[in-house]
Amino acid sequence: MKEISIVITEKVLTFIEKYKNGILNKEEHDQEFNKLALELFSYQFQHNMPYKKYCQVKKKNPLTVKRWLDIPPMPIQGFKELTLACEPIEDAEAVFMTSGTTNPDQKGRNYHPSLKVWDASMKHPFKQFVLPDREKMTIFVLSPAADMNENSSLSRYLSNAAAYFGAENSQFFFGKKGLEMEKFASELRKCEQSEEPVMLMGATFAYVHLLDYLKENGLQFQLAKGSRIFDTGGFKGQSREVEMEELYKQFHTSFQVDRSLCINMYGMTELSSQIYDQSILSSCLEGDIRLEKTGPAWVKTVILDPDTLKPITNGQAGVIAHIDLANWNSCIAILTQDEGCQTDNGFKLLGRIKGAEARGCSIAVDQLMQSALGGASI
Amino acid sequence: METELIEAYYVPESIKLTDFRQESIQVKGRKYIVKYPELTAEHIEEIGASLQANRKDYLAQLTTNEVVDKIDQAIQLWLNPNYRLRRIADALIPAVTGYDQDMVRLELKRYMRTFRKKELLRFLDEEFDQPAILDDFRPRKSGGMSRAYGPNTIFHLFSGNVPGVQLWSLIMGLLLKSAAIGKTSYSEPLLPALFLQSLKEVDERLADAIAILPWKGGTESLDNMAVNWGEAVIVYGSNKTVAEIRKKTPIHKKLLSYGHKISFAMIGKEALTADHYSDTLHKLAEDISIYDQQSCLSPQCVYVEQDGVVSPKQFAQGLAAELFRYHKKRPRAKLTGEEAMSIQNFRNEHSLKSLQSQKTAVYSSKDDTAWTVIYHEEPSFSGSPLNRSVHVYAVDRLEEVADHFQQWESYLQSCGLAVEPARLFSLANMLGAAGVNRFSPIGEMNRAKPGWHHDGGFNLMELVRMVDLERDLEYGLEKYDSDVE
Repeated sequence: MKEISIVITEKVLTFIEKYKNGILNKEEHDQEFNKLALELFSYQFQHNMPYKKYCQVKKKNPLTVKRWLDIPPMPIQGFKELTLACEPIEDAEAVFMTSGTTNPDQKGRNYHPSLKVWDASMKHPFKQFVLPDREKMTIFVLSPAADMNENSSLSRYLSNAAAYFGAENSQFFFGKKGLEMEKFASELRKCEQSEEPVMLMGATFAYVHLLDYLKENGLQFQLAKGSRIFDTGGFKGQSREVEMEELYKQFHTSFQVDRSLCINMYGMTELSSQIYDQSILSSCLEGDIRLEKTGPAWVKTVILDPDTLKPITNGQAGVIAHIDLANWNSCIAILTQDEGCQTDNGFKLLGRIKGAEARGCSIAVDQLMQSALGGASI
Repeated sequence: METELIEAYYVPESIKLTDFRQESIQVKGRKYIVKYPELTAEHIEEIGASLQANRKDYLAQLTTNEVVDKIDQAIQLWLNPNYRLRRIADALIPAVTGYDQDMVRLELKRYMRTFRKKELLRFLDEEFDQPAILDDFRPRKSGGMSRAYGPNTIFHLFSGNVPGVQLWSLIMGLLLKSAAIGKTSYSEPLLPALFLQSLKEVDERLADAIAILPWKGGTESLDNMAVNWGEAVIVYGSNKTVAEIRKKTPIHKKLLSYGHKISFAMIGKEALTADHYSDTLHKLAEDISIYDQQSCLSPQCVYVEQDGVVSPKQFAQGLAAELFRYHKKRPRAKLTGEEAMSIQNFRNEHSLKSLQSQKTAVYSSKDDTAWTVIYHEEPSFSGSPLNRSVHVYAVDRLEEVADHFQQWESYLQSCGLAVEPARLFSLANMLGAAGVNRFSPIGEMNRAKPGWHHDGGFNLMELVRMVDLERDLEYGLEKYDSDVE
């Protein structure tokens, strides 16, 4: 790694260390966040050539950008089209790729010269949002571990969670043939009988298959107090659409786990940090359930007006952009295709912004592409 | 504040609807309450029966010329700028659709003129050698006689993209003396309802053979009842809507459908001379901007030939400047988040490409999504997210473009053309074979002319049933005349 890269990652790690338990002095944090964000922007502008060009097209550079909010966010398509990295990609310790559901040849890539920052950024917020009330617990994972899919940031995440916070009998229930339902059910029954709290973790759609299996076999569990369920990803059309809240109701029926101990993590391959529901944190601290999402102190999320790409007022729906200081090698600012709205406590994720449809006989490009792929518009 | 009640529907006098939803709209210090009926399948049944009876008693007895005269009288009302209903349309349609006020006013006025008596007569003549064939048996050149019968009933299913297009279909039905139910879209239900009010002013018995009813697209019970009622069904809209209605329509019924289409423009080097290029740009920007490209007649791609005084890239830049000016004059409608995001995605995709290669360039409005031009050095074919966003492709020769259309034949619609006369037929033949069904000058792309073959088909001819009296019968019957020699 370049000298400057070592320096910059050290700064990011120091920031994470300082704010790993949250923000005490808001003003000081704002200033430090802004300072580091601008420093990172300047670093990326210098060393990430495609990003530099993108900024130049947007007529932004380190001399004109004075606030973190003005850093041009890279659209997530950029992670597919361009090679976004400050360090040579050949030397990367890991490259995380998107699943490429729309076009398997075109996957978004996020290169990590070292996973030190990524791991630190994962660890502390996990403790804060998922396990604020305990040090370790039994973790049952329903999705593949990192050794099965080394290009998946989620697999890395789940493996880290089990390694950092999993009690001895934590296990992965995902083999070469997919989800190992039978084994899972019998191991879960053991936890139930020994009254040992357990945390289930997996992609949202993995639970849909699991719940189907449990229903078919007439299986229900009364998990021990403190048990919790972690899901991530939401529904992106890989499985049948079930509203999230409906899913949490089913969790209650099948596992006797309350809504307050169900948590959804919002993560993206293009980021190096994760964002969480505050359900567990708020119910532990304040006794009520807060469902808005929020990230660690080194991530800021803004909602932009889709027409102007300027921030919009609280409560209005818009497109989500993130500034993640842990994303030091690619782009700290990214523009998603997700819709959300800001509240006083965080933001609500409203889902993926669908393609536009023409109002009549004209056909918009999104519909046209869909029909060319044999999609919905026939 | 003055308040005016507007009915976004029309039913015959004998029908009494009782449940309504109201929406209030304020325009320039005037308040309008727009009334929408809450409909059930029983309503459709009752209205349908009444329309059929009214048609039989009156409309079916009129001659085509009488019908033409009455439509003309209603249109004449609309050609008066102070006509009460026209003023309501000018005020309310921009408020409901979001389209610029001046644009709506200007386009509506132009549009209404295409239904005057002389245009209607031309329209009839275009499809029938002798329009009187709609009134009685007329001799045929090959011997014998024929008469054309329109459907007793037509169910029109409209989309709401462009104000007024519904009138085309309604008038077509009237010329065939068919009773009609017109299902309007909530995104523009007003003009057809207002036009029926005008027909009522001219001749109430005529108007009472038509009902205009807004309901939410895909409402099964209502759609089924109306499809069942119509002897013919005419559907406008997305391919999805067309496919759904087609599924419901029994095989013996006539179904005309106008689904998804894409138009494009071609600019030859002859139109890129110092004399002509600025005018071409100006008119093309209009074609792209009118009704924010929601009409399928509006171009989504422009092919620009090399070797003109201005290069294709300069043309793209010039087009951007014209779109900017047009937006200043007549701003684009405010978009939904999805529509705006679709434009942002479109821009992002191509601006990322432009970082890697000089072959793509993006020219777009700075602070919002008002207009977007994507310049491509390599010709291809693609749609745009509409709302004033367009591809400009550089080509060596326009004659080479047709190859790019292969996959899209069924989507092609109009081609706006600016080339020297010597190239007209070779290009038209080539593009006609590729699927294009209309050629128009640049600047007129959105304004199809009376008598055009909509999406390549006939309008009246496709709906009528011909009845033939054979030549032999005509002579053969003579012998039964008791007075014959």
